[in-house]
Amino acid sequence: MGAKLLYVYLPYISAVVFIIGAGYRIWLWGKTPVPLRIVTTPAPKTRGGVLWRVMGDALWFPSLFKGDKILWLGGILFHAFLWLVILRHLRYFLYPIPGWVEGLQTIGLYAGYLIPLPLALLLVRRLVTERNLYISILGDYFALVLLLGITISGVLLLLFFRTYVVDVKDMVLGLVHFDPRVSEPHWLFGLHFFLVMVLLIYFPFSKLMHSGGIFFSPTRNQRALFEKRFVNPWDYPVSYNPNNLFPPDKYSQELAGSREGKKE
Amino acid sequence: MKFPVPVPEIKTGASRHVRCHPCKEKDMVKIDLPKIRRDDWKEAMLKKMAEMLDKHRSLRLYLDICVKCGACADKCQFFLGTKDPKNMPVARADLLRKVYKRYFTLGGKIWGRANEAEDLNDEVLEDWFVYFYQCSECRRCSVFCPYGIDTAEITMAAREIMAAAGIATKYVTEVVAKVYDTGNNLGIWAPAWIDNCKFLEEDLKEIEGQDIKFPVDAVGAEILLVPPSADNFANTNTMIGYAKMFHAAGISWTTSTYCNEGGNFGMFLNYANMKKVNNRILEAARQLKVKKVYWGE
Repeated sequence: MGAKLLYVYLPYISAVVFIIGAGYRIWLWGKTPVPLRIVTTPAPKTRGGVLWRVMGDALWFPSLFKGDKILWLGGILFHAFLWLVILRHLRYFLYPIPGWVEGLQTIGLYAGYLIPLPLALLLVRRLVTERNLYISILGDYFALVLLLGITISGVLLLLFFRTYVVDVKDMVLGLVHFDPRVSEPHWLFGLHFFLVMVLLIYFPFSKLMHSGGIFFSPTRNQRALFEKRFVNPWDYPVSYNPNNLFPPDKYSQELAGSREGKKE
Repeated sequence: MKFPVPVPEIKTGASRHVRCHPCKEKDMVKIDLPKIRRDDWKEAMLKKMAEMLDKHRSLRLYLDICVKCGACADKCQFFLGTKDPKNMPVARADLLRKVYKRYFTLGGKIWGRANEAEDLNDEVLEDWFVYFYQCSECRRCSVFCPYGIDTAEITMAAREIMAAAGIATKYVTEVVAKVYDTGNNLGIWAPAWIDNCKFLEEDLKEIEGQDIKFPVDAVGAEILLVPPSADNFANTNTMIGYAKMFHAAGISWTTSTYCNEGGNFGMFLNYANMKKVNNRILEAARQLKVKKVYWGE
């Protein structure tokens, strides 16, 4: 029963929570209007320039590089390793395995061995810098510890507790094709799998949504087109307060020549 | 471990006593805001917050995606100057974020303590009033944030939310009210503006020996100049500079007594007043039938 809960029900629950949760958050950002042009300068003038800027921000973090070199190093290594590890894991989801996933096998393995290091760096710098300690909340530590748990259990599975991967792949393919098969791999694999499911469920409710949000940031994805008027989608006409002493109609009267009658 | 960036020492609450003067009734009635702090201020603020979350993507997004990496923390001059940790951009935004979490996110509603969510109470309001008015909206933090999170957007939202409940500072509300009465921040009435311009004309005649004009409310001029009002009052050298430049270039220009202010304090208060103050420039340009507006601020 425990195995069925872990390897059949939990994966489907977490997949649904992840897809609906993250999709809802992204839909919400997408539908919320942007009333003003607030792009951070220097800003690109073309769509291609915006694409380059946003992709750059998503891939090699130039803003962070300007701000904090240690953090940039930890961040870029972690994210690069994470991508390699995720792409390497596609070999458990796809049959037959595409050639490019095969090609990533070696570098993906090395990324997997090394990924706990930048995570540890990110955790340590939160603890040793006074101001980072001040701003860190439980969620920040939870995400780091969860990722450390996933990656360390993964490394241990590679090095010491080798699972029979044919069984693992059979189980994963069963899930992918909605034909779940219960299997009994090593308990450490069970832990690795469980933590990944926790991550998927936690993801949409947490700061981890920055991975989607970065593409919606108005200070980065707008163009510096100041020649063209930016129209606020919820713009409304201006109304005048009767308590104001200088409304527009008074100005037109003054311009029409009634100024002479005014007390100076 | 030694870090290349010097770590400013934190002094908790170091600038909490630096508090702006609260707004006055006489100004609030002129700028479409509640006269005094509403009795139901909490409900009014939450209602305004819900409205703003639906109108400003920046607000919702930036409250959601901050990862508290701390890249902005040592970039804020208010933090570097005061050492008060709540003046770090991320911590300043957190003052609003924790209320957002408590009332608008599932995690904060279910398990507030783990998510650092907090009720909107007197103490939080006091923090808001103090620290959201210790931000100059310079947006330096947004340059260094990996996601471009702009704390100025959050500061502006917090001030707008407070204003909706009748909570604002005297400096900002007084200036905005003055713009609606006199056309400028300093409260220079039209006759004084015209008189100052005549005075500068006489001065220039004496110094340069030429008839350099300072036209006011000249319908049909080519350019409407919108200077900071201080240029006519304190920094007159700048005003003289404009006049000499237009005179030398042979361009017809004018200032307007309806709108002689390039600074917009509505930005420090709320969207509606920012729009109204800016609208005066458009209105003056239309009525004076000018072709271009030069912004002198």
